[in-house]
Amino acid sequence: MINSGILSGVDLRKSYGSLEVLKGVSLAVDPGEFVCLVGKSGCGKTTLLSLLSGLEKPTQGRVSLDGKEITSSSEDELALFRRENVGFIFQSFNLIPTLSAWENVALPLFPMKIPQEQQRQRAMEMLEKLELGHRTGHLPSALSGGEKQRVAIARALVNRPKIIFADEPTGNLDSATGEAIMSILRRLNDEDGVAILMVTHEADLAKQADRLVRMKDGEIVA
Amino acid sequence: MNLRYTVKELYYQRRRAMVAAFGLSIGIALLIILNALSIAYRQAAQIPLKEIGADITVQRAGDVPQELSGAVFPCSAVTLKKDELEKVGSLPGIKGMGRALLLWVFDPERAWVVLGIERENSIGPAVLRYSVADGRFLEAEKSEALVEVAYARQFGIKLGDSLSISGREFPVVGLVDASRATKIAVANVYLPLKDAEALAVASKQLQSVSPYAAGDVNLVFIKADQDQIASLSPAMKKILGEKAAVATPDSFLKLLGSLFALSDKFTLAASLIAIVVAILIAFKTMAGNIAERAREIGVLKAVGWTNRNVVFQLIGEAVAQCLIAGILGLCLAIVVSFGLSFMNVSIPIPWEMSPTPHFLPGGGDQIFKTLRLPVTVPWSLAVFAVLLSVVIGGMTGGLLGRHIAKIKPSEVLRHD
Ligand SMILES: Nc1ncnc2c1ncn2[C@@H]1O[C@H](COP(=O)(O)OP(=O)(O)OP(=O)(O)O)[C@@H](O)[C@H]1O
Ligand SMILES: [Mg+2]
Repeated sequence: MINSGILSGVDLRKSYGSLEVLKGVSLAVDPGEFVCLVGKSGCGKTTLLSLLSGLEKPTQGRVSLDGKEITSSSEDELALFRRENVGFIFQSFNLIPTLSAWENVALPLFPMKIPQEQQRQRAMEMLEKLELGHRTGHLPSALSGGEKQRVAIARALVNRPKIIFADEPTGNLDSATGEAIMSILRRLNDEDGVAILMVTHEADLAKQADRLVRMKDGEIVA
Repeated sequence: MNLRYTVKELYYQRRRAMVAAFGLSIGIALLIILNALSIAYRQAAQIPLKEIGADITVQRAGDVPQELSGAVFPCSAVTLKKDELEKVGSLPGIKGMGRALLLWVFDPERAWVVLGIERENSIGPAVLRYSVADGRFLEAEKSEALVEVAYARQFGIKLGDSLSISGREFPVVGLVDASRATKIAVANVYLPLKDAEALAVASKQLQSVSPYAAGDVNLVFIKADQDQIASLSPAMKKILGEKAAVATPDSFLKLLGSLFALSDKFTLAASLIAIVVAILIAFKTMAGNIAERAREIGVLKAVGWTNRNVVFQLIGEAVAQCLIAGILGLCLAIVVSFGLSFMNVSIPIPWEMSPTPHFLPGGGDQIFKTLRLPVTVPWSLAVFAVLLSVVIGGMTGGLLGRHIAKIKPSEVLRHD
């Protein structure tokens, strides 16, 4: 069971001081699966995401990503692993304000030994794919919220990850734009087979996932 | 390090980058200017001796003659024996030597300062060859005289006149403008060294104060290895005794009395303070700038940048910023140095080095050599300053980068 999926976390616990945020969570995601994580504010969704993606280490429990046990990896090993296998989408976009759209997309490639022209080409392709071919040279400040999030999605895809972690990617967008972003994610999941683990508050969007995981007070309830 | 990222960051955050660079550039400019001034003073101090083709002059103080009649030595320049000078000449680092014999001659109707000079030597008063205002320079084997232009004018002496000095006749063959050439070893009348020697040998007054034989002199001009000048001075005193007066560029530097001239420790200390303050300012502003980018750093780490990647990127940015600061500082310093190069300095020439009897016109006056301070920024200083900025950038970037790179990438999941 542990290594069957693209991602699996087993009996994950996380405490901040005396505050136990995760109380033994197990979750597996299959390759190409689209999973939505829902639950009340403060129940530990973001914390779980950061453990599963290797941004943070659990107090207890194990995570394996694409067959690799990452709980015991060093910080740099985790960084290299994320670089190769994982994509991130954030609620607040987190684009670099001084870099243009395509440079933001290429950001994960910068430290790699790939010629710059090739980096640019890959970033451009991703932007084309997200229908942003006409805005590649713009700074984030010149883009709308939906465009920013599309750039962020292109960045999450540029390293051809097997799984994308998205923490409330529509949280800062109006419902129509959020709907559009959701359909992009659905399309990527369907066409490219990239697995997605997404946190959302919006029931309408959550319904569109392959599977819904509900959390309450640091535990999975359904 | 990603150069594109560095350039974009500096370009779009240019105001903030400039503020950080500005403090450092002022410090770098101060460092350069202080050192350029110090070098300029040092060069200025060499000029009085350089004019006479020397690096060092040597003379020896003695007693005041009992009676001022006939040829006597000024009390600041008595006999330097031939064999003593041979010893001096063989000291390591000495490249050449010029000799002269300075006499005060008291004749019944006139008193004059007479300098016996070598005819051909690039070191010493023979450089007057290039300052003949009228007539010609001394010719070999002839007993003839050159007269200082101002003195000739004052006493109505003309070319072709015959001067009677202690009973010997010398035709005036040239007028020299010594004031233009040098401030050291100036006299009223210049004779061939041989003739001056004869005057000295014949003078009882002179012999009674300081025994003298032909071949001895009382002024010596020395050309020496630059880096040996400091050590030569005590070595000469050992041969010539404590009463020997050895003048070097350093002794002129002390006479200049400027803070820069007085000690290179002052320059060093002031430069260090300027640089440390500049580093602190640069460090503080850059620390603020980097702290503001904590979230950005978190994003880099989340998308797979290692700590090393982050640190190198930040070092690159800091180095670029400080390089700009260094170049800015250098430009500023060049402009200021150019301005300072219009400044005049007056180097006092000690009376001993150009002794005029105080009862002669102008005899008690302090003589000054006035020149424009040669302030320039030497290449080595410019390169050093820019390199220093780069090093400061590297260290600041490294220090701040390592600190900020510790940020946990999970922080970026939290939104403000
Ligand atoms: N670094 C931390 N230090 C201390 N407490 C933390 C830390 N990170 C999270 N917490 C706490 O853990 C609990 C869960 O936080 P988490 O961000 O995982 O919730 P969430 O389900 O994502 O909430 P939301 O829907 O509001 O984003 C919260 O009570 C939060 O205050
Ligand atoms: Mg959250």
